[in-house]
Amino acid sequence: MNSLRSRLGFGLIASLIVMIGLLWLMVGQSVKVLLEQQMASRLAHDGEALLGGMRIDVDGRVLLQERRIQGIYQQPYSGHYFQVDAGGQATRSRSLWDAKLPIPDVAAGETRIGYVTGPQQQPLLFWAHGYQKQGRVVHIAVAEDLLALNAGFAQFRWQLAAWSLAMVLLLLLIQQYIVIRSLRPVSAAAADIERLEQGEISTLSEQVPKEVRPLVQAINRLLDRQRQRLHRSREALGNLAHTIKTPLTLLQQLAREKVAGADPATYEQLEHYSRQINERVNQSLRRARLAGDGLGAGRFDLRQDLPVLVDTLHRLHRERRITLHTQLNGIITLPLEQQDGMELLGNLLDNAWKWARSSVSLTLSGPEPLTLIVEDDGPGVDAAAMQSLAQRGVRQDENLPGHGIGLSIVRNLVDEIGGDIAFSASESLGGLQVKIHLGRRT
Amino acid sequence: MRLLLAEDDPELSARLGRYLGRQGFAVDSCTDGVETEFSGREIAYDVIVLDLGLPKRPGLEVLANWRKAGVKTPVLILTARDTWQEKVQGLQQGADDYLTKPFNEEELLARLQALIRRNTGTVGDTLSINDWVLDEATQSVSREGERWELTGMEFRLLRYFMLHPGRILSKSRLTEHVYEQDADKDSNVIEVYVNRLRQKLGNEVITTKRGQGYVFGKPPP
Repeated sequence: MNSLRSRLGFGLIASLIVMIGLLWLMVGQSVKVLLEQQMASRLAHDGEALLGGMRIDVDGRVLLQERRIQGIYQQPYSGHYFQVDAGGQATRSRSLWDAKLPIPDVAAGETRIGYVTGPQQQPLLFWAHGYQKQGRVVHIAVAEDLLALNAGFAQFRWQLAAWSLAMVLLLLLIQQYIVIRSLRPVSAAAADIERLEQGEISTLSEQVPKEVRPLVQAINRLLDRQRQRLHRSREALGNLAHTIKTPLTLLQQLAREKVAGADPATYEQLEHYSRQINERVNQSLRRARLAGDGLGAGRFDLRQDLPVLVDTLHRLHRERRITLHTQLNGIITLPLEQQDGMELLGNLLDNAWKWARSSVSLTLSGPEPLTLIVEDDGPGVDAAAMQSLAQRGVRQDENLPGHGIGLSIVRNLVDEIGGDIAFSASESLGGLQVKIHLGRRT
Repeated sequence: MRLLLAEDDPELSARLGRYLGRQGFAVDSCTDGVETEFSGREIAYDVIVLDLGLPKRPGLEVLANWRKAGVKTPVLILTARDTWQEKVQGLQQGADDYLTKPFNEEELLARLQALIRRNTGTVGDTLSINDWVLDEATQSVSREGERWELTGMEFRLLRYFMLHPGRILSKSRLTEHVYEQDADKDSNVIEVYVNRLRQKLGNEVITTKRGQGYVFGKPPP
């Protein structure tokens, strides 16, 4: 029951059934009362007709005018009965045959309506009234069989039930439609969030119903804050780099100028340590700058960001005329935040650029998992170096000729982002092949 | 070669200025973005070294403004910011090269020389015109096995001539490109240096176009 739709659905079904059920009972009851009232008033008419057509003799016997009595009262057990009692011998309709209705006497001026069981167990409705006539109290009771009425009523009840059921079903359909329609913006927001996670959009649409809007707005504010925080922290890291690197530059230059000639051994050490500082700082800064999942931040878009990066590489290595062959296989975005992607591809391609003779190739496949292959036609890397590159956590100083520092940056980035990296000889180009699997965000 | 050095750290700026001066550059230094933008726009520099973290106006903005205003001077960005995002931004805004700190001065010099050569349309790593070969490292010139040492100003002047061979260069243009801003500029001094070069290398190396200026190598017809 943890779905709004089923909750609403169940609630509406239950309330509908209760409502329609109550309505069915009420309507049934009202109709029954109405029918019986109608019957009672007919009985009263008949009773009054009896009164009008009767005389009482001195012995208190009731004399009825036969012609004023309807035929139905003359047929045995016809279901229509009367009995008149004026204190003496009671007179009953012929239809009663020998039976007697156990209807109590009613005081003069009073009426009583009720049920009684008649001959042959017939359920009867009776109307009884006490009249004052010729100085005597005359009790007139008229009764009618309820069987036909009950049967009709039962049929009516079934019909009503059938209609009610049909109505419930119709209303349910309408309600389902309304529920689905009203929840559509919620589904749309959920789909929006999915697209946000895929990096297709960076803000949720606020064109949602009032009830959901605060939620969507809160998410958007949060995303915005996260973007700002990322931007600010990257800004701060850039400034930190600036404040560290300038003195470091001075340190190195002073060492080269003042120490290198006079004390080469010390210079060597100074150089080594300052390089170490630089590398460690770079590594930490690079790690801190990564956006991670970068929810709500733009993805690296191969249509926009790759051409700019490639153009930059061409400009930076103007003297090297490298041709880049790309095979994107329909992949549009990398599952990486834009700057993270720029850093990874930048280092990867820059390294290939440096060592290639004339060609670099970039091949993507995926999307699940996304595989990135960069190859070059350079001298490649020998087996021992390949093994050392493949080892996680091994720091590559520039003691590895060529593919050293750039690839160790790439390997660290891939470790941080969460992926696998493999080095091998390129079959098609003859140089180094770097293959990266970017795992799904967790 | 007139060079604009925009670097906000005074120490580094001073050292670098001295170094580049020794390498034959006429160096003007700026320490903030606004001043840098103004100088780069007003003075015809041969090359600009731009730090991105300048106070008052960020280097990237300065660069974008120059390019928008049609300043075509080659720019080398010298910065501590070493992310690819920043490199891409820098080069897309119109920088010609990107060097990250810490750097060594020789690397910077090599890149500046490459930028200047590329900008003047000179091919190859060494500057050689009509058998004259200029050695920028030793600030000397050689021809057919013979070598001449040059003084600082002679080197500056000869390099500018050799980067613009066959073109008429006026005294004021030469003054503008071999002297830094606060130097005591006297265009007659150019005459003195041209004559010294002629004495060293021979009269025919630089011809005078009366009322127009000097030409190195084959003068235009």
